[in-house]
Amino acid sequence: MQKSYTTSIPIGRWSLITLTLFWFMLLILVPVGGLIQKLLASPVGEILHGLGSRTAVNAFLLTAKVTGMTILVNTIMGVLMARVLVKQQFRGKLLIEGFIDLPFAISPVVAGFMIVILFGPYGWLGGWLEGMGIKVVYSLPGITLATIFVTLPFVAKEVIPVYRQFGMKGEEAALVMGASQWQTFWWITLPSIKWGVIYGVTLALARSLGEFGAVLVVSGNIINQTQTATLYIHQQFTDFDYSGAYAASLVIAAVAFTILIAIQTITNRHRET
Amino acid sequence: MSIILENLRKQFGNTLVVNNVSLDIQDGELFVLLGASGSGKSTILRMIAGLLAPDSGSVKIDGVDVTHVDARKRNVGMVFQNYSLFGHLRVFENVEFGLQVRGLPKAQRRNRSKELLEAVGLTGLGHRYPSQLSGGQQQRVAVARALAYNPKVLLMDEPFGALDVKIRGTLRQNLQEIQRRLKVTTILVTHDQEEAFELADRIGVIERGQLIETGPPDVLYHHPKTEIVATFIGGGNILVGREDEAHIRLGEVLLPIPEQAPIHAHGSPVRVLFRPETVVTSREKFANNSGIYPLGQGRVLKRIFNGPVQRMVLEMQALAGVRPLKPAPQYGQPQTQIEVVETTTGLNHGVEINEVLWVGVRDYHILEPSGIKFLVYTDTPAENPPAQALALQLGQVTKGFVTLFSIVTREEELADRQSQIDHIQQVWQDRIPQIAAQVERGTLTDQLLLKIQSGNYDILVLDRQFTGIDNQHEMTPLLQYMLEQTLLPVLTVSKPSARVSHMLICTAAGEPGKSDVQVGGRLAMRTHSKVTVFSVLRPESDQAEKERVGDYLQRACRSLTGLGIDCDTLLGSGQPMEELFNEADKPAYDLIVMGAPLPQAPQRTHWPEVAFRIIRELEKPVLLVPMMVK
Repeated sequence: MQKSYTTSIPIGRWSLITLTLFWFMLLILVPVGGLIQKLLASPVGEILHGLGSRTAVNAFLLTAKVTGMTILVNTIMGVLMARVLVKQQFRGKLLIEGFIDLPFAISPVVAGFMIVILFGPYGWLGGWLEGMGIKVVYSLPGITLATIFVTLPFVAKEVIPVYRQFGMKGEEAALVMGASQWQTFWWITLPSIKWGVIYGVTLALARSLGEFGAVLVVSGNIINQTQTATLYIHQQFTDFDYSGAYAASLVIAAVAFTILIAIQTITNRHRET
Repeated sequence: MSIILENLRKQFGNTLVVNNVSLDIQDGELFVLLGASGSGKSTILRMIAGLLAPDSGSVKIDGVDVTHVDARKRNVGMVFQNYSLFGHLRVFENVEFGLQVRGLPKAQRRNRSKELLEAVGLTGLGHRYPSQLSGGQQQRVAVARALAYNPKVLLMDEPFGALDVKIRGTLRQNLQEIQRRLKVTTILVTHDQEEAFELADRIGVIERGQLIETGPPDVLYHHPKTEIVATFIGGGNILVGREDEAHIRLGEVLLPIPEQAPIHAHGSPVRVLFRPETVVTSREKFANNSGIYPLGQGRVLKRIFNGPVQRMVLEMQALAGVRPLKPAPQYGQPQTQIEVVETTTGLNHGVEINEVLWVGVRDYHILEPSGIKFLVYTDTPAENPPAQALALQLGQVTKGFVTLFSIVTREEELADRQSQIDHIQQVWQDRIPQIAAQVERGTLTDQLLLKIQSGNYDILVLDRQFTGIDNQHEMTPLLQYMLEQTLLPVLTVSKPSARVSHMLICTAAGEPGKSDVQVGGRLAMRTHSKVTVFSVLRPESDQAEKERVGDYLQRACRSLTGLGIDCDTLLGSGQPMEELFNEADKPAYDLIVMGAPLPQAPQRTHWPEVAFRIIRELEKPVLLVPMMVK
């Protein structure tokens, strides 16, 4: 029986493997390879010049700032939301649980547009804030807000199941053993939901680095001021400055690749313990 | 440190999970809460730990009311069902956690964790992570962790539940040793009776949120008070006999009622428990002085060899017609069966299937008389019709069982009726713990008949409008049909009545079963009512007849007085129908009990005419007791 099983299957099995590999190459390896090849074909000085330009540096700096703030806010809020959704019973809880995925479903452009409606100079809140001297849209707060919005679900979504499985029981045990809420959270809850948080943060990080649509609508794309890395690439591309675009793209791709490797390592280690 | 629970109560949504539980646990005691899953035992534990707030009632630990004290300030040790160990901490860190949050210096913590790990037999494993330990080892870490900070009490939620059977035994002994040594008051929750027997100083049996009985394992096993405990703990035979002159009648068999047995009314049902290991079988008839109570002969139906013992199921000819509660009779099974467990070294190790053996018992135990089981039909639960109101009132006063039963004709009415009836059940659950509610679809007669036959009820409570007696065209009113078909006493109710305090039992001397007096007496005993036993002499009766009837009434009254009922007799003279009616009409009586001789015996009484007239015209509750006439 065993033998016939291994001998009769190979054709189907190999063709499936081949198909998967082909698909992977077509969609991922070939484009990445193309990018690298294009980059290598460009003169080195031109690339370095492109990357070192004030515009590029400013764009990358802005992206770093926005990403940093987004991660900070989303990590704290994500854990908090997960905690509330797991532990508390209240009206509308199901609604929130259902709508937490909304930022995934909505097109980033639409999300950006919503922020402009709300916070733009003629928006409901924007006008009022502008009166107090706070500019949201076409400046850093708006870009950050848009990025936070599109990455909102990552941390909460990853933390909720882990919290349910490990956090709750551990919290009860700690409580009975005499730990305060604060001690329980830092010593028991956080360590037991750690991998969920890290995984969620990593995904949010990758996403906020590459966010384009929402930011495009909200930022106004002012060079050196509100132009993020992805917007810079787009700009270079439309200006036919291909080598600059390639270089910046490769930087973004490299960061994403590093993050991917990190996720892989994390999940593998998580599985071991 | 003692633990005292007072009227603890917890409701989740519509379900009463813990129903007025009161419990007193002594210092150093190992108390086991035994119950099926979902019986509410874990909820009780969580309320003691402070992880759940009771709806009402109080928890006292070491004399201090901690009902509103935060879990972390109760100083309680708890072993959770799946241990809830901290997976990211090493074993010794798990054990030290309780000390760490109490601010104990590191060196002392280290010493204490070493000491405890040694006590539970895990020396040298402190640096492992919980996931690197076996299930049994994890359980011991959980115990060590819970004991580390010298808690006042130790709570354990199914601590052996996740382990395989082989290591449970060793761990049980291990746990018992530690508990005895530290003398820490412990409550352990389990569904495993073997575990409960082995560990407990005392066991509390819990069912549907109610604490049924508490006591040491051997007392609960040999002398349970209730059927629930008798059937939940250990295997057993429970037969329902009848009280008969200080004896229990089980078919053709008579067993003496032991002196310390609970008092049963004359002729009332008696539930006899005998454990399979107290049953003796023999190929020869038992000698009179053998100390064995013979049960007659039985045919071997099943024999299972089990090493040291063999189990047999016997079909008992002499117990024909006796209702067994356990082993539960299968549908259509004509003969009463009993279970036997014998050592295989005895003489009968060669018994064969279908062999007929003499059967006896070495010992038996009589359960306390159960509460009266009322079945009440109601079609408008929300309006609380008179029958429903009276049944609920009686159920509460008699601490009995009430089953609310409703029937709808159309499918679409089902949900609405169900919610109405569930609501009543919920509202009354506090006052009548044994309340049940059910809705069926179909016709009144069919469904009611099915319901009566499927359960063992004592009294059917029916509103007058459903008795059919007001309908002149009906040949056999529903009331009469039910009495004839089910032989179940029926209590008819015409209008809301305040309470039952004085019953008139109308009886006819020499009537067959005396069951009117018995059923009435049982109700009177439980409602603490006064009883007047009444009979009518025809004008033409002679002196002898008069004496005979007077004597009969006196005897009836004596048996009621024996049950602690305030009883007097009354002998009327005249036309029975008129006299009965006139007496029943007196305002002193608030419930009338009448016999209903079946099949109809027109030459003796004018039932059902008298009964129907009383029901129709007096608007008092009337209890009709069917009596078989030979």
